[in-house]
Amino acid sequence: MENIGLLMEGFGHILSFNHILLMMLGVTLGILVGVLPGLGAPNGVSLLLPLTFSMDPISAIILLSCMYWGALFGGSTTSILFNIPGEPSSVATTFDGYPLARKGEASRALTLAFVSAGLGALAGVVMITLLSGWVANFALRFSSPEYFAVYFLAFASFISMGAQSPFKTLVSMMVGFALASVGMDTISGNLRLTFDIPELIKGVSFLVAVMGLFGIGELLLTAEEGLRFDGIKARVRLSEIGRTLIEMPRYWFTIGRSMLIGIWMGITPAGPTAASFMSYGVARRSARDKSQFGKGDPRGIVAPETADHSAGTSALLPMLALGVPGSATAAVMMGGLMIWGLTPGPTLFTDRPDFVWGLIASMYLGNIVAVILVIATVPLYASILRIPFAIIGPVIVAVIFSGAYQVGNAVSDMWLVLVFGLLGYVFKKLDYPLAPLVLAMVLGDKAEDAFRQSMLLSNGKLSVFWSNGLVTTLMLVGLALLLSPLVFWLLGISRRRRLGVPKPPQDGTPAA
Amino acid sequence: MSENSVNGLSRFAMEAAVALLTGAFGIAVAYGSIEADAGWTDMGPGAGYFPFYIGLLITFGSAANLVYAFVKHRGTGEIFVDMARFKVVLGFLLPLVAFAAVSTVLGLYVGTTLYIAGTMIFQSKYKWWAGLATGIGVALFFFVIFEIGFKVPLLKGPVEAFFGIY
Repeated sequence: MENIGLLMEGFGHILSFNHILLMMLGVTLGILVGVLPGLGAPNGVSLLLPLTFSMDPISAIILLSCMYWGALFGGSTTSILFNIPGEPSSVATTFDGYPLARKGEASRALTLAFVSAGLGALAGVVMITLLSGWVANFALRFSSPEYFAVYFLAFASFISMGAQSPFKTLVSMMVGFALASVGMDTISGNLRLTFDIPELIKGVSFLVAVMGLFGIGELLLTAEEGLRFDGIKARVRLSEIGRTLIEMPRYWFTIGRSMLIGIWMGITPAGPTAASFMSYGVARRSARDKSQFGKGDPRGIVAPETADHSAGTSALLPMLALGVPGSATAAVMMGGLMIWGLTPGPTLFTDRPDFVWGLIASMYLGNIVAVILVIATVPLYASILRIPFAIIGPVIVAVIFSGAYQVGNAVSDMWLVLVFGLLGYVFKKLDYPLAPLVLAMVLGDKAEDAFRQSMLLSNGKLSVFWSNGLVTTLMLVGLALLLSPLVFWLLGISRRRRLGVPKPPQDGTPAA
Repeated sequence: MSENSVNGLSRFAMEAAVALLTGAFGIAVAYGSIEADAGWTDMGPGAGYFPFYIGLLITFGSAANLVYAFVKHRGTGEIFVDMARFKVVLGFLLPLVAFAAVSTVLGLYVGTTLYIAGTMIFQSKYKWWAGLATGIGVALFFFVIFEIGFKVPLLKGPVEAFFGIY
């Protein structure tokens, strides 16, 4: 196995005192942003990114990826103890995690969550170890039209798989593309979409957008809801952890199935949130005894947690091997790679194997560090959440403003983050999805370059996207995904007509 | 109009407003792209070629959302945000604007101190010394982390200059 050898070399690159320290720092900060309202994984990584500009890429990616793992774990902690999902992807964990904790089995609920999360993440990393080299080799055959087709496929799948209205997804995504193209055009060097505003010449940073959309926007929502923490006192008892560990093998089937769901949803851009919901749903539907679901069934914790984390890790495979991130956080990290001067995609495997395999090795270690740290620090974070929002809220705001400024040392970014915050608040309330916007902002330039180079190759003929089997297949799958909402809609209408059911009344109340 | 019920902003009005806003943005993008040359040049597609179609797609999607807002949300009485909650949101938002304004002039350290102290003292009714201590503490913490730990400077203003801190 060639990959195993490379992995061992990767371990060689990262096994140093400094790197382990960075891992612990990353995980700790990650849990913190995962626990705090208004700071999620994409946001935390964005805030930390400017601080890594002067680091070497391996240390930087260790810090950022470990922050990602930490944030995933932190999100589950608040779901279980406070019934407040720290991350959208841990919403499904609240369904059974909180009830179980309320029954006085908080330690059991937390251990179940953390261990299955760790196992899920491990499954994702093993998959990356085994498949990444192969995917990257395959992708080396890609040229510009194929790349554009891959981007097209990724974005089409958002439109088809999103829970929101396809047109809202479209608008959100295209706004991202438009923002990405503001400023200097990378090919011709011309300025565009700056409307003679000097602040726009350097472009709109996706980091500022993420901080505003996810950070300020989330805080505004939290303020509106009037956050009250109704927490459960958690004392982690070692004996209970041990007993839960012995209990784990009983859920092997749920864990295995959730891993597969998570890996699939992570590689495709559906992401961790969809994965955890789907896994919970499947576990519930297939359970013989459904009565305990929603009241603290252990499987109701194991299933979403495993899927959430295996999706979260798997999202890094397409980012590394293809340059197409599978989640908002992966998109931010990919933006980081480009800032550090690395080109995500298949060439990264040949140009910087030390970086790629160092990162993969750090995922193994980082997740183990994360499981241990998160179990050890639960009481600490639970007490942080007891600080009133009146203090925590403004402090988070100050962190976000500082982070926005540090992205480009620009005063205008402090105002921009505010604008994005308002946009995030309104979009969230009106069910516009935010992840496609961020992904489009990060990928915008690359997708456009791929498109324009394809056009150059073909002298402006769109037929280049049907010129060989590979690109045709990719485009056809993309088109099928893009049109699928329309097809389902038409099917729904025709079925209603055939069965003679009247059209639902226009006032929005669903037809019985 | 009866759409704006007494106790809040209707969801329909908001849906329509956002669709119009994104639509206007789309038109602006398309217009800006034409200015930046949306045609074909010696180097292939011009700088505005790709964004032009993006702008068109935004406009198209916004139009669909506008239609959808009329079909789905008009007259449902759905509320985007009710007045009481809206005041809470404004109470959070306005200090943010003040924070950005103060920081633009006085730098982020002073801005942070004043913002945290201000919200704690005036909004949450903490004792003035508790608010001020928290504000200064957070600003000092930022200084240690950013300037000393990561060596990434934050915006400084005249106050730091007065004390000779750069």
